[in-house]
Amino acid sequence: MASGNMKDIKRRMKSVQSTMQITKAMELVASSKLRHAKERVLRSRPYFNTMYETMARIAKETRDGDSIYTKARTVKKSLFIVIAGDRGLAGGYNSNVLKLAAAQMAGKTPCVVTIGKKSQEYYAKRNFEVLADFPGIAETMQIQDTHDIVDDMLARFRDGSIDEAYICYTEFVSPMVQEARCQKLLPLSFPGSDDSAGKGKPQALTEYDPSPEAVFSAIVPEYLNGVLYGAVVESYASEQSARRMAMESASDNASEMIENLNLSYNRARQAAITQEITEIVAGSGQVGA
Amino acid sequence: MATFHLKVLTADKVFFEGDVDRIVVRTTQGDVGILPNHVKYLAAIGIGGLTIITGGTSRMAAIAGGFVDVSKEGTVILARTCEWADEIDINRARAAEERAKAQLQHKESSNAQDVAAAKLKKAINRIRIAQK
Repeated sequence: MASGNMKDIKRRMKSVQSTMQITKAMELVASSKLRHAKERVLRSRPYFNTMYETMARIAKETRDGDSIYTKARTVKKSLFIVIAGDRGLAGGYNSNVLKLAAAQMAGKTPCVVTIGKKSQEYYAKRNFEVLADFPGIAETMQIQDTHDIVDDMLARFRDGSIDEAYICYTEFVSPMVQEARCQKLLPLSFPGSDDSAGKGKPQALTEYDPSPEAVFSAIVPEYLNGVLYGAVVESYASEQSARRMAMESASDNASEMIENLNLSYNRARQAAITQEITEIVAGSGQVGA
Repeated sequence: MATFHLKVLTADKVFFEGDVDRIVVRTTQGDVGILPNHVKYLAAIGIGGLTIITGGTSRMAAIAGGFVDVSKEGTVILARTCEWADEIDINRARAAEERAKAQLQHKESSNAQDVAAAKLKKAINRIRIAQK
């Protein structure tokens, strides 16, 4: 009886141990991938910050609102680009961004472009109108890879088959904190660009070559490419750090479980020995009498 | 001699940062030279070369896409792609040229044709710059 119990505990310890080996390995892989991903995020940030500032300034200086990219229209159809991971076991990473996207879509007629296998599976299962899937591109993403997505989006926006576009991604705040975000891509809007008060004449005139409109139209795709690339890079770093954290806590839990099991194993062993001794003593007492 | 601050950024790195005497960059309208105290200026970049001149030495890079933004604080170039002439892998550029040419042979959709034509232009540009 007692030895049966001990065997059970041994078996459980073994299974927990092998699970822990896997979670430990995944943690190590994720943290090495995270290091690369983090570098990529840091390298790309100056580009995007400058890009954003420049765009905001141009939008402010050319506030005629003539560009089709900035004009708001009545919304019939919304495009959502949803970036999630290619794999699970990353804590709340995938479900957080998908939940946020679902909340944003409420009350709209959405169509989706998915980036990442998890996002693809999610929307395929729920019968959404999916325009395109891009699974498995996040890890090796180059800025050139975003052109197809952006060109397609702009074409749809121009011919009126979509009226606005959002991007849902996960911002990499720090290795401990990732935040799901939803950002409006189209029509373009920048803080301060649409305060129609217009404080008199614009400040120092900028020379645009050949014309503000032409420059603006040429830069919009660059800007969107940049935003999309940035979002993918941030999301990928978030995914790795979310996975690292999830695996770390799984490994911690496993080692705690092993400790507890070890304790009950030792108790069972002791109980078995005590019982044996009692039996022997009782037996020898009988023989002596 | 007066200099101005130049920053060249691509999506994956800070390509160049420093004070320079003069630059020449290919915009969609043609080559444009920028000297210190240039007026505020903004233009989209085409496919061509970027020459940076500092203290009598010049360095050339192949550039494609993006825009150049000149302001009082300095000049910022945000480039889609940018490579120093001496770092261009000419074999890779040649291979890209061949690939693009092959793609142009197939009569595909006009969209794919445009993409291939742009790729061909970029490859030829890189070869030209590398050989200068």
